[in-house]
Amino acid sequence: MTSIESGRASRRRVLKGAGAMAAVGLVGAPAISKAQTGAIKIGVPTILSGRVAILGQTSVGGLKDVFDKFNAAGGINGRKIEMVVRDSKGAPQEAAKVTRDLINNDKCEIILDAEASSAAFAVQEVIREVGVLCIHSNSETSSLTADPKLHVPTAFRTARQGIHDAIGGGDYAAKIAKAKGLKKWATCSPDYAYGRSNTAEFMEYAKHFDGNIQVVEESWPKLFQPDYTEVVTKLLNAKADAMYSALWGGDLVAFIDQANLYGLFDKQASFMVNLGDYGVVDQVKQFPQGVYSGGRYNRVVPPTKENEEWYQNYVKTQKHKPTNWSWENAVAAEFIVEALKKTNGDTNGKKMAEAIKGMTLKSQFGTKGSVTMRAEDNTLVDYIIGYGVSLSKEPYVADFQSSAWEPIFELEKQWKKKQGYIS
Amino acid sequence: MTSRWRDLGLAGLGLVLLLLVPVFGAPPAIRDFIMFGMAYGLLAMSLNLLIGYTGLVSFGHAMFFAAGAYAFGLAMQSGKFSIPAAFVLAIGFTALMALIVGAICVRLNEIYFAFLTLAFQMLFYNIILGWVSFTGGDQGLMGGIPRPKFLGIDLADRTQLYVFCSVAFVVCIAILRQVVTSPFGYTLRMIRDNQERAAFLGINVTMVKLACFVISACIAGVGGILLTLFVSGAYPNFGFWTTSGEAIFMILLGGSNVFLGPLAGTVILRLLNDITVSYTSHTELVLGIVILVLVLGLRKGPLDLLAERWENRRQAAAQAIRDAADKDAAKGGS
Amino acid sequence: MDLDALLRCVGTTSCVVTQLTSGMIIGMLLFLIASGVTLIFGVLNVINFAHGSLYMIGAYAAWTFYQLTGSYFVSALGAAVAVGVLGVLFERALMSKVYGSNVLMQLLVCYAVVLISDDLIKIIWGPVPLSMGMPPEFRLPPIRFMGGVIPPFYLFMILAAMAIGLLLWLVIVRTRFGSIVRAAAINGPMVSALGIRVNLYYAAVFGIGSALAGAAGALAAPVRSLTPGMGFSILIESFIVTVIGGMGSIVGAFVASIIIGLTRSFGSIGFPLFVDGVMFLIMALVLIFKPSGLFGRAHR
Repeated sequence: MTSIESGRASRRRVLKGAGAMAAVGLVGAPAISKAQTGAIKIGVPTILSGRVAILGQTSVGGLKDVFDKFNAAGGINGRKIEMVVRDSKGAPQEAAKVTRDLINNDKCEIILDAEASSAAFAVQEVIREVGVLCIHSNSETSSLTADPKLHVPTAFRTARQGIHDAIGGGDYAAKIAKAKGLKKWATCSPDYAYGRSNTAEFMEYAKHFDGNIQVVEESWPKLFQPDYTEVVTKLLNAKADAMYSALWGGDLVAFIDQANLYGLFDKQASFMVNLGDYGVVDQVKQFPQGVYSGGRYNRVVPPTKENEEWYQNYVKTQKHKPTNWSWENAVAAEFIVEALKKTNGDTNGKKMAEAIKGMTLKSQFGTKGSVTMRAEDNTLVDYIIGYGVSLSKEPYVADFQSSAWEPIFELEKQWKKKQGYIS
Repeated sequence: MTSRWRDLGLAGLGLVLLLLVPVFGAPPAIRDFIMFGMAYGLLAMSLNLLIGYTGLVSFGHAMFFAAGAYAFGLAMQSGKFSIPAAFVLAIGFTALMALIVGAICVRLNEIYFAFLTLAFQMLFYNIILGWVSFTGGDQGLMGGIPRPKFLGIDLADRTQLYVFCSVAFVVCIAILRQVVTSPFGYTLRMIRDNQERAAFLGINVTMVKLACFVISACIAGVGGILLTLFVSGAYPNFGFWTTSGEAIFMILLGGSNVFLGPLAGTVILRLLNDITVSYTSHTELVLGIVILVLVLGLRKGPLDLLAERWENRRQAAAQAIRDAADKDAAKGGS
Repeated sequence: MDLDALLRCVGTTSCVVTQLTSGMIIGMLLFLIASGVTLIFGVLNVINFAHGSLYMIGAYAAWTFYQLTGSYFVSALGAAVAVGVLGVLFERALMSKVYGSNVLMQLLVCYAVVLISDDLIKIIWGPVPLSMGMPPEFRLPPIRFMGGVIPPFYLFMILAAMAIGLLLWLVIVRTRFGSIVRAAAINGPMVSALGIRVNLYYAAVFGIGSALAGAAGALAAPVRSLTPGMGFSILIESFIVTVIGGMGSIVGAFVASIIIGLTRSFGSIGFPLFVDGVMFLIMALVLIFKPSGLFGRAHR
């Protein structure tokens, strides 16, 4: 907690400046002007309150360890990294305001955007104007980096991307569907952009790999809907062979609990991309058999010594288990640290972006022991992606199959053409 | 008439003060704070025309905030309109919507009016969410709002945007001031205090309420446009019931009986928000406690309280003068 | 829109039975919460916007009691009592201070309580969603009835909610306590003038209303995920129910809960993307044509 504490102390000091300025109103002059000599400030807009406070908490957890190590090693040119974390409550306009304040008021030189999707789009617009380096660490919506209209030269993404998950997952699902004869499929995903695009893409590629698959029922519960009874009975009536779901977090736990009452999982195979996360898979009390889940973060994926150490260290310092968001943020932090080394501590947005573009980073979260920031669209590739069978206790996953990246690249290119993103 | 010129003078002075901010090189964060505050300030000020002056407690005012924002954003993204044209179009759309919603709602009284406006707001919110192909659904209007130059003004420039917002804001406040000080404004107060008596005096209460509803919605729509320009996007939660709730808190925090009370409330709530967010990750806890202290401790908006104190003191002073005069008179008589 | 699917469903008994029961499940839990809101409004003439938080606290309390005792029934009862007591404290310490003042002041106090309780829940139980899990006594295969499927726990939930509702109605209509409360609802000062300490009755009614929310939370705990802010979505739905049924009418809340429950269950088949929209549409129509609600007395 030490570094967070110090972060807080400095926030207070900065704030005194801000408060004074706001109070004096129009007369106040900028109080802080030692940007180039003090710590390198990294602004982190994220969600710390409400139903998805866990997103912010486990994101910051993932960042902290990397920056602590960097600071312990002496920083760069005597400058250390200081995180300034702000709660946007998940509202896009607040996220935009908070991001601008972090840059203008707190003199943050880099933005690490740990927001969920719609707020990430708002942050992207701020970055377009201001031009500092920004890494989106949590938004999985493909268009954020794939759509050239939304492209911002100094903005990158280290979150996994929906289309990658869909291609890898579709391939895996098709193999099982062929082996077990799963032809009629139903879907159950939250009714918002992530759930809709993720589900459409997953089913598209499942059909691509197995022509016999057809979707017989779609259900779209609202995000954070407390009761799924009507959805479960609708799925029951559909009598499908298999189901795909992009529900996540507490919603997924509630859905499984409620579907269990109707014995839904006995009647069909189920593919749930977000079940693998800690905080979800270890919360389900009555675990259905033979459920397939996507790879989020797991301490045995990959089954290496480094991964186990990372997990142990995270649990020791944060007192909770890491999530998918934790590794995505850890990778984002690594990119920033590496880029700073390359630019010799120069935080200029253009220079940092040049350094990060196309950078390959040694990382335990990569399929080949490394991950790459793809130069053509500023998004992360070669990270571990795949599916496995979920278990009710440690290690919570068995028979994990990592997707190969070459076919993903191939199909992703076709998808981009179809969307009109590339010609 | 003199008070009208005084008000306009004050408005001009306010505008000059706002415009001096960038001249004196205030840091961008303060300009951002003011612009954000102006957008929400218009929402709260316009809502107070309903709540404070007419006694119509609307729980759905944010729907017009969102209507202005979306209409403006969509018009600009279509690429067919200049900024002033889109501005007028957005206000027109908001007015039309307010006319329809208002015609249905203003017939109801008290809490039922509040609930009906809430229902319409949520209906509108659900349409924004559901009509993905047009509104972008939960992701809002993505990819930025284009700001082509008009009359040599470039709103992509942050200083020019600030000036533009300041002018729009002050014009709206001046309009509101004219409304509440006009005979129409006094009719509104009469309806608030005693609807039956107003009707008895031959006032068409429904029409007056409806007119007030539409004016107030249009001003809220301008607030939405300013916020859209600020964040370069429009999002469904502009029109969610929590945004209406926030506007109500702004009014209560500042005071509903003083003209600029809601604006003070906006500044208080935004400052509270910015400060708690910077100090702690337990924003909700701190904000909740502060609200409790304010409500149970003061029981009024700070500006209302100040106005009351001032009024009391003035009356006390007047009383003292009268007493002294009486004494003199008594002396003279003896 | 998929009205064909809706017609197909209405044509088969198995689908109708399943959707009817699922509508009842959604509706009855809603009824428990809405009946508390409507009871408090009917008697005290305040709208408790913090009712969703009481529901949330009920669910978390039940979770903790269940960890400690291992008995679901003890936990549910404990949660209802605990939230009832909390409700009395809330009424005495905060709400009673703003009786008679502007409805907006009451709203503000409730909003503060919502914010504080959400954050306290996060501090005490953590931001990770919790799940209680189905108590072993209910881990039974679903009951089949006329081709439809009904889980035993939900059957228990429906019956429990109905029993509580009936008990509440009897207390209000048949007991001395109930008649004093009804009298106080119509004219508090007059009852007070008769030498009855009305304040105590106000606190008791607030406590009962809160206990209903607590019980609803406890009934929901085995099947819903527990997160800070879980009272948020339930609050708005319980208001729809209260308004449709008529502010202050418990029978109205019962009928409206079933209407909303069935709208959800059949709507998810017929017009899945606009279910919420339709609920607000019903609310708007009721307000337009009968502002006092289906069973409400005309207010003022």
